[in-house]
Amino acid sequence: MSEPLLTVEDLHLAFGGVRALRGVGLEVRRGEIFSLIGPNGAGKTVLLNCVNGLYPPERGRILFEGRDLDGVKPYRRAALGISRTFQKIELFSGMTVLDNIRLGRHLHLRTGLLTGALYTGPAAREEIAHREFIEREIIDFLEMTHLRDKVVGMLPYGLQKRVELGRALALNPKLLLLDEPMAGLNLEEVEDIARFILDINEEERWRVTCILVEHDMGVVMDISHRVAVLNFGEKIAEGTPEEVQAEPLVHQAYLGEEQGEYTSRR
Amino acid sequence: MTYRSSGVYHQTYAASHAWWQTNFVRAKMALLVLFVATLPLYANLYVISVANIVLYTMLSALGVQLLTGYCGQITLGHAAFIAVGAYVTAMGVLFWGLPYPLAALLGCLLAGLWSVVFGLPSARIKGFYQIMTTMAAQFITVDFIITHYVSRVGGREHYFSLPPGTITIGGWPVDSEVKVYYLAAVLTFVCFAALANLLRTKVGRAWIAIRDNDIAAEAMGVNVVAYKLLAFFAAGVLAGVAGAVWIPSLYFVSPEHFQLSWSVWIVGVILIGGVGSLHGVAFGAIFVTVILELLKLAVIPLAEFYPALTERFLYLKEAAFGLAIVLFLLYEPRGLAYRWQQLKNYFNLWPYAY
Ligand SMILES: Nc1ncnc2c1ncn2[C@@H]1O[C@H](COP(=O)(O)OP(=O)(O)OP(=O)(O)O)[C@@H](O)[C@H]1O
Ligand SMILES: [Mg+2]
Repeated sequence: MSEPLLTVEDLHLAFGGVRALRGVGLEVRRGEIFSLIGPNGAGKTVLLNCVNGLYPPERGRILFEGRDLDGVKPYRRAALGISRTFQKIELFSGMTVLDNIRLGRHLHLRTGLLTGALYTGPAAREEIAHREFIEREIIDFLEMTHLRDKVVGMLPYGLQKRVELGRALALNPKLLLLDEPMAGLNLEEVEDIARFILDINEEERWRVTCILVEHDMGVVMDISHRVAVLNFGEKIAEGTPEEVQAEPLVHQAYLGEEQGEYTSRR
Repeated sequence: MTYRSSGVYHQTYAASHAWWQTNFVRAKMALLVLFVATLPLYANLYVISVANIVLYTMLSALGVQLLTGYCGQITLGHAAFIAVGAYVTAMGVLFWGLPYPLAALLGCLLAGLWSVVFGLPSARIKGFYQIMTTMAAQFITVDFIITHYVSRVGGREHYFSLPPGTITIGGWPVDSEVKVYYLAAVLTFVCFAALANLLRTKVGRAWIAIRDNDIAAEAMGVNVVAYKLLAFFAAGVLAGVAGAVWIPSLYFVSPEHFQLSWSVWIVGVILIGGVGSLHGVAFGAIFVTVILELLKLAVIPLAEFYPALTERFLYLKEAAFGLAIVLFLLYEPRGLAYRWQQLKNYFNLWPYAY
């Protein structure tokens, strides 16, 4: 639980006049749920986009398992074990739930143009083996058995968020970036997702390290091992949930909005 | 009943991955094969020649469907790659002494690679700019390279003549409409099957993912640029097949056969048939070809009164085609394939309306 999986050093990124990240540094340890909180526009999504490779930072370094990710394309980072969900749902809306999750297995499949066109023994066997994996490990686990053949564009918002989680998980990642997986969900759905995240993190067969961006303080304080607070592109606090809650700066910047009153959902 | 009645539950994942899941569907496919195989026994030569045009249109449009319908890449230069397939095959047979199947294989490969060259800009650009680069493929390949250089190979001007009997498969000359029909029918079936297979594996899913959301595809580990280029390659190979299949029914190969209008025509075929559907390719090709033939039949008697009509038939044809596309975009934007799906659903549920 101690060796760092991800190290972010002195990250800077500006969009025109907006300085979205101003020297952020973090260390995420293997096996933990690390939460990023902060008011709207604090730079949380931008930070995840840098880790995942969608935005190149202007300055600073990102190390994953000790390896510098500078110049590494997003799809290569996925191959290294970084998966994610998006704040604004980014599903393949014309595909079924099953196909969306199957796409998450992309890196684990070997079929090429010729073998796929022929759909001979190996290609067919591979498809069926992965189908079994997806059914057992993803669809059953995320309680989506009744949805597998539905086109995702037609599903309600809460279920779409769940499909995104399933797709990200199908990649078998080492690090999972979750950008507001509970935003806009009802209480019951929030509890489901929180339970899934805990399972993904704790269960022997997953053991996925998570970076969670979330506004729901109750959930964040409940399930995180450590929390970092961003404000205007700077990290203003970091520590265990208790330590962060005790930080006066945090109250001013963020929790102040809710007068420091947040209730646990448990 | 037609697709999968609600009573069918799969015992294994293998069964649910099978193409044809009920005896009804299997019987339907067997009937289709039987129909296609026996058509020359009872149809006259005119019907066979129309069927050949339908098959050629399907093969031509299949690559466009792959690129545009499944991978989201716009193309207005597909005829260029059909031309590469046709010319390389013809040159292989005429000048290099290759047997037709080998020449055709070479034609398909080169058409695929040439298509990749014009796919390269798609790494950076989308939409409108893609129309320009693919149109560049049309002009550079057909109007420049083929017209000015390739056509002159062997001291010939403008076209390569292919007298009947030039094209043989293992000593079997492909020298009649019926033989071309069988060749085209088999290859059309093979190409449809190959693409249908691809679409249910890693490669096809990656293409569809790029079409639906390239950023998410990349985040999930899809090398977006490589898979786009792979789509251009596969589409080029399919174009090559179309070109290679088309030449036995031509007496000569000429740049005239592969003009921009054909590139546009086959895009129209998938718009009318249904974007992102294999059924759509078949329905679209049948629809536009049959409408065109009906138009011809209508023009012949009218031409007695207005002789100018025959001269202007080309414009008439294009105007009718344009009108059909506009009407489809307005009233049936999802194409004929969608209507077909609706009809099947209706009969699945019949006699209950809901
Ligand atoms: N692609 C972009 N172009 C321009 N500005 C951007 C871009 N992405 C983010 N920004 C800006 O960077 C700042 C940080 O945005 P970011 O999305 O990271 O906020 P956030 O912490 O995720 O907030 P929220 O809680 O609302 O999601 C904002 O001011 C935003 O407008
Ligand atoms: Mg955000």
